[in-house]
Amino acid sequence: MRMSGLVGASALAFILSSGAFAQEASLDLVEPIAEYKIYVSEKLAKLVEDTTAFTDAVKAGEVDKAKELFAPTRLSYEAIEPIAELFSDLDASIDSRADDYEKAEADPEFPGFHRIEYGLWEKNSTEGLAPVADKLLADVKELEGRIASLTFPPEKVVGGAAVLMEEVAATKISGEEDRYSHTDLWDFRGNFDGARKIVDLVRPLIADKEADFLKTVDANFETVDTTLAKYKDGEGYVTYDKLTDDDRKVLAAAVNTLAEDLSTLRGKLGLD
Amino acid sequence: MLDPKDLQRSSYHLNRRRLLAGLGATAVGGSLTGAASAETMHHSVADAPVANAASQLDSVPHLGLHQAGVVNGRPANGMVASFDVLASNADELEALFRTLTERIAFLTVGGSVPMLDPKLPPADSGLLGPIVRPDNLTITVSLGASLFDDRPWLAPLKPRHLQRMMRFPNDALDADICHGDLSLQICANTQDTTIHALRDIIKASSRQMILKWKQEGNVPVITPGPDGRAESARNFLGFRDGSANPDSSDVAEMDRVVWVGADEGEPAWAVGGSYQAVRIIRNFVERWDRTPFGEQERIMGRTKMTGAPLDRRQGSEFDVPDYAGDPEGKATPMDAHIRLANERDEASKAHIILRRPFNYSNGVTQSGQLDQGLLFICYQANLERGFITVQQKLNGEPLEEYIKPVGGGFFYTLPGIRDASDYLGSSLIAAARGA
Amino acid sequence: MSSPDPQRAGGPSSRLMTIALVGAGVLVLAGGGAFYLASQRTVRPSEPGTIAVRVGDKSCEPMDLTVPAGRSVFEIENASNRPIEWEILDGVMVVEERENIAPGFRSQLAARLKPGVYDITCGLLSNPRGKLTVTASAHSEAEKVKPPLKAFIGPLSEYKVYLAVQSGQMARAIGALSTAIDASDMDAAKSAYAAARTAYRYVEAVSGRIADLENAIDPVATYLAGREQDPAFTGFHRIEFGLWREGSVAGLKPVADKLAADAATLRDRLKAVKFEPTDLAGNAAREARRLAEGPVISGDNLYANDEVVEFAAAVDGLEKPVSLLVPLVTEASPDVAKATTDAFAAVRAELGKLSGSDAAPIIYSDVSPDARKALAAALVALADAIDRINPALGLE
Repeated sequence: MRMSGLVGASALAFILSSGAFAQEASLDLVEPIAEYKIYVSEKLAKLVEDTTAFTDAVKAGEVDKAKELFAPTRLSYEAIEPIAELFSDLDASIDSRADDYEKAEADPEFPGFHRIEYGLWEKNSTEGLAPVADKLLADVKELEGRIASLTFPPEKVVGGAAVLMEEVAATKISGEEDRYSHTDLWDFRGNFDGARKIVDLVRPLIADKEADFLKTVDANFETVDTTLAKYKDGEGYVTYDKLTDDDRKVLAAAVNTLAEDLSTLRGKLGLD
Repeated sequence: MLDPKDLQRSSYHLNRRRLLAGLGATAVGGSLTGAASAETMHHSVADAPVANAASQLDSVPHLGLHQAGVVNGRPANGMVASFDVLASNADELEALFRTLTERIAFLTVGGSVPMLDPKLPPADSGLLGPIVRPDNLTITVSLGASLFDDRPWLAPLKPRHLQRMMRFPNDALDADICHGDLSLQICANTQDTTIHALRDIIKASSRQMILKWKQEGNVPVITPGPDGRAESARNFLGFRDGSANPDSSDVAEMDRVVWVGADEGEPAWAVGGSYQAVRIIRNFVERWDRTPFGEQERIMGRTKMTGAPLDRRQGSEFDVPDYAGDPEGKATPMDAHIRLANERDEASKAHIILRRPFNYSNGVTQSGQLDQGLLFICYQANLERGFITVQQKLNGEPLEEYIKPVGGGFFYTLPGIRDASDYLGSSLIAAARGA
Repeated sequence: MSSPDPQRAGGPSSRLMTIALVGAGVLVLAGGGAFYLASQRTVRPSEPGTIAVRVGDKSCEPMDLTVPAGRSVFEIENASNRPIEWEILDGVMVVEERENIAPGFRSQLAARLKPGVYDITCGLLSNPRGKLTVTASAHSEAEKVKPPLKAFIGPLSEYKVYLAVQSGQMARAIGALSTAIDASDMDAAKSAYAAARTAYRYVEAVSGRIADLENAIDPVATYLAGREQDPAFTGFHRIEFGLWREGSVAGLKPVADKLAADAATLRDRLKAVKFEPTDLAGNAAREARRLAEGPVISGDNLYANDEVVEFAAAVDGLEKPVSLLVPLVTEASPDVAKATTDAFAAVRAELGKLSGSDAAPIIYSDVSPDARKALAAALVALADAIDRINPALGLE
């Protein structure tokens, strides 16, 4: 009898109270998630505003102006990518790359930012881009509308910090994202800011229990900041080809470590 | 009437005996383990190859109603190679088919390599030494839509559902590893044997077809459990793959699911063939490894450790999930991979396919991540009802975040080589001449 | 298995334990909340419905108990002459227990039980065990579909976003109102006033419960001793009085500035509110009743007479939190979800009747007492429908 009592009640108490991870997500997440939605909404409003100016320039045939607006416009999108990606159709039409299409750049289906980027930098022209620009603006507005009416799934928000790092690790560190304009460092900035925002929002929930974890994560964000700062140019960054091999390795290591560490954030907050 | 299953089994042993007789004393020693394992070798396509059971003398008959390499269990190594065909008329195509038939007959049965004048290049790469042993080799030949489309004299004979592989929403197809006029699926116990076969065929057919792309893969070899039941092999996501495959030893089921019969509305020459869908599906393994265990299970719809369905975690991978009893997806999410692919109801039976995948591991991407994934191969009697429908059901699944199809193609697997006087594709050539 | 997989042997033991205990009949709620509650509540005095169990030297009395599923409180009296422990067992698993009850003492034990048949121990190990039958109840049916706490994080945060956005709109509109008053622009002032009121109606289900601010922002002259001349007559209706009744902005500037300050405070207070899952439906139902009892019957906007427009905004404001629960409710109880949707439609139908021939809303002073009662009745019916949501979600 004593044995079974021990197995039943005391063991359970142990599991529930002293586990490393929260057993179930708490309502303390309500405020960070709400704050995050407001953050995302603000970024989207900025994205719509910037995309309007960008696509106007494209349609007016102002190649130089459009080139100038390309990277800053994308910044807001990159910061909220984990949420934007919840709508895979829009993500594809806004931000897919030539590799996603069998005939690559020549594929008539190739849309969005990178299609325009290709025209602006590779062809130095806005020829044929007007319909692409119209579609891009319509898609960005559609995204804003859909996100406005979306109840944010907490695990997607918290998991989003890791997702942003995964994106960088898997397909950005190579400089293949903005392969025509080489404005990848702007995108990195957006990705890192977006990830850090999420960490900062949930920080109070884990500050006591996970001080070491946060210290490591912060240190890696610092490394990224310091490294990126070397390449600052005005409001933005120099082109990706200027990034030295050594700094690329530093960034790659920081990104991989962040991806590794942030992948545990959901678990720490009880969101499997 | 003779049961084709018995026929297959008896020819299996017949072949083995013939081979043993031919190879002489040293081979006989080696054959004892092979013969002893013959019964345990009889397993389903999805089963992992049995550890320590494979022998260089394992042989799969290359003659029969259907080609080998479809309903046979997967050996440890597999490869798909795709070619552009040069033939511009029926005679040239026949010549290619006859070349392939001849090489398949030699490579899958084995024998001595002919020795040529040392001043000449050797007839054989020599990879396998002076005597080629079959090593469970199968070579399965299939035709792509472009072979028909580009040749007016062949176009009317194109199988009904054969088409250029379309782009599905999550695909990022690389034109360099897509499509082709002709595919070879080459499978064997060891990688040396598949590579040897490929080099042999390239050498023999160099004037007739040109290699376009290839992808190699393998299946982990597993020791069966104490109950002797083979387990399904795991893919590079760490999950068992193929638990729900149809029973490939069930001849009637294979006739329904895999082989094109006379009643499918296909051209008469195509009866006895099958549709082959090949997909090179990259797995983002680093990201997957950083995904919570529970989410991994919910995405796949199986327990990771045993492969048991989520609604009976203590069960085995072969237990059938009860989706009717879980209409809201509380146990197995509605968008779990296995649930979307096969709802396990009457209607979904029409869409069953025979999967025969291999894991691949190629190298490192530009971003410094592992280029690994699944060389997905499946066979079905109706491509639309089979792979295309299943893939459409999977479009948008949560697993898409972790996988990216980058290559592959749709092909039509030719009917078998009926006997030693027949050659691969003879019915198609006859039809082309008659047309 | 001769060689157990080390991961299987070592890894998920906690999960297995959880599964085992769930199987044993305990509802593992919100991070062990049930256990916490169960242990805490035993210190309370006897609750109504407490089940008395007397443990004697040889057996329990009664030996055979039947309780409905859900929470039950047992009071165990040790009538034997040795200390005892009392346990509820599912097979060999202890579901709940009380230890070391001294002879002559009583101890309470609260347990949440799933339907099934359990054993109860009765003193000495050698004594025969009693039987506890737990029958299915409305509660256990709701528990079956009860969403996890996590499921409410999204809806609650979405509602907080809504409140933040609307209270922000309200603050901005009041800023515009203040500017228009400064410029003596009556038309601009009236339209800014209307915009601010709409935003206010959206958040009123919550803001109405913040009494100090409510009294500063939205007092109605009817309830003030000195009516319109009362010094406490301030906020929205003071401005409404000036713009519509007096037709002047005279003296409104300080009122508008104070209202702007209060609106800013309201925005911060709304941001700080900590909601429970029950609040979403709870606040909506309460506000629907309040509207039915007061404003709909007697009118709120005695000078602008535009209640019909504001009530429509108020109904939208009620629907927001309810709509966030709809996916959960639909899963748990399609009937309750449908009843709620229908009740909203019925309220809107009543409001729709209150328009003139040009489809514009009619002024409220022209709305007959019968029409007001019909609208009130629809709102009460709506409140009743919303009240069914929390129980349907297993929220108590």
